[in-house]
Amino acid sequence: MPKHIFRLVSLILGLAVVAVLARPFLIADSFYRFGHYRANAVPEIAAKAPVLQTARYCQACHTERHAQWSAGSHKSVTCEVCHGPAQGHTDKNKLPVPKDSVKLCTLCHEAMPGRPSTQPQIELAKHNTGKQCVVCHNPHTPKIVVATIKITGNAAAGKKRAEDCAGCHGADGNSPNDTWPSLAGQNAAYLARILGAYKSGDQKNEIMSPLAQDLSPADVQDLAAYYGSLKCKATPPAAKPIGNSAAGKVLAENCSACHGETGISTNPAWPSIAAQKPGYLVNVLKAFKAGLRKDPMMAGVARGLSDANMADLAAFYAAQSCQPTK
Amino acid sequence: MTMNKEDSNPSVAARRAFLSKLGTAAGCAGAAVGAAALGVLPAMAAKPETAPPGAAASGASFPTKDYDWTKHQWGFGVDATKCIGCLRCVEACKNENSVPKNAHQFRTWVERYVHIEGDPEVHIDSQSDPVNIAASGSEKEFRFANRYKDQKVEKAFFVPKLCNQCTHPACVQVCPTGATFRSEDGVVLIDPTYCIGCRYCVQACPYGARYFDEDRGVADKCNWCYHRITKGLKPACVEVCPVGARVFGDQKDKQSPISLFIRNNRVQVLRPETGNAPNVFYVGIDKEVN
Repeated sequence: MPKHIFRLVSLILGLAVVAVLARPFLIADSFYRFGHYRANAVPEIAAKAPVLQTARYCQACHTERHAQWSAGSHKSVTCEVCHGPAQGHTDKNKLPVPKDSVKLCTLCHEAMPGRPSTQPQIELAKHNTGKQCVVCHNPHTPKIVVATIKITGNAAAGKKRAEDCAGCHGADGNSPNDTWPSLAGQNAAYLARILGAYKSGDQKNEIMSPLAQDLSPADVQDLAAYYGSLKCKATPPAAKPIGNSAAGKVLAENCSACHGETGISTNPAWPSIAAQKPGYLVNVLKAFKAGLRKDPMMAGVARGLSDANMADLAAFYAAQSCQPTK
Repeated sequence: MTMNKEDSNPSVAARRAFLSKLGTAAGCAGAAVGAAALGVLPAMAAKPETAPPGAAASGASFPTKDYDWTKHQWGFGVDATKCIGCLRCVEACKNENSVPKNAHQFRTWVERYVHIEGDPEVHIDSQSDPVNIAASGSEKEFRFANRYKDQKVEKAFFVPKLCNQCTHPACVQVCPTGATFRSEDGVVLIDPTYCIGCRYCVQACPYGARYFDEDRGVADKCNWCYHRITKGLKPACVEVCPVGARVFGDQKDKQSPISLFIRNNRVQVLRPETGNAPNVFYVGIDKEVN
């Protein structure tokens, strides 16, 4: 055999032997266990900890909020869609509460070609321009489902029934004291709804609850019609409200979509609060904040208010005229 | 004529001397360990047989002790008629899988198809489109700009896209190192420690589902959140989709969401002509979508 052929063959053979010997050291043990890949890579990939924790994880601590959310129309939008991944979330490591709700909500709800018609959509230029969505909508149960109750009651019959109410709410529906609300000129549909809530137990008050038990559905209608038909009178406050009316005016911009700019409600299902008793207004806001009064939207609003904020708002609304400007 | 010069070149002489020594060394090594090699070879051949495919290692479940991959065959459904283009899936996927936060690398994405009256061409964009990046305000956030609101739109729809986890994946076929493979439960996975970053797979995928992660130097793509589904969770995009446009489940379970989705709808797959046999099933897409 020529010398150069011998060299070449021995080189190839030598390299082949080295390759065979090196193979077990270079290829992982689990390679070829199932196929042409490293089987141990699979448990390695599977071992990664999930970043999104699902709503059930949030439920453990945020039970009440979870219950509210899961009963509402946003139940298909999980917590982490708006608040971000919950991995590593503790008391100290808080998850963000979105600041710009217009930017967030329009991701899904801006009217756009291509979105299925079943998706609720708004035109930004027409739908409550310039306001944050969360002013009117509770993001956890965004649908505003205040059914406007039709008023069929008889005001004259209501007047008779109202004799029992005069002690606290005034003979003409204008409350003589700071703690109880004036009812004169209030939206009848709202009055009927609230009286119904006291009767059913949805809303509780140690004085109103037992009184409402004695009312028949017809009584509720009559009373609502009667008080709705009365004229409200601005009664001079017993004491000067402690809040700052000017500061209240700024805060009240967030309330105007439902309660009107000066507290004259835009929707009969919601109460007018202009010229209402400041002590009463503060108590109601505190009750919403504490969860004693149940309304998903007001609960969300009241949660962000301090005691000073409430006093300011009450002072502002108490100082407004209850007569519609138009 | 240069060859003659090289013969007398000192560097060529040095190379010859080196090869000669190498040959001798290799020869010696071969002779010395020949017997040893004979002993190693049968052991090597026996290795794959210790755990043949499908016989999940003598009763113990694989890949984790609570999850046996032979008991599942995952599938994914997309109902494009439900998609609202909110891109929460994209956001969730980026968070879940540490996908680089920029506007051109995605494990999942959403395309928008718009037909405008009098215009024969279909307008296609995704969240990566400069107009949509401008609307979102940053490359780290995702939003479809309302760019067609003033035009006469004849037809428009959104299509979520992701890795099809093909039964015959082209990406696996071209991988030179066995770094990507199809698992027994029907997910195409990537072993980042074996990926050499050659990007053949990125080229081979007919759906553009793969991207190259420059930071880690490896190819990456959707794996249906394998770390979640092996723990009984849904993939992140399915978890967050607010309208149920994404459906996920076990095709071996006849009552799973995906089995019902396939049974109750007339589904189609993307680019069936490539022979990849995808496992993402679509409802409500149009002729332009592929």
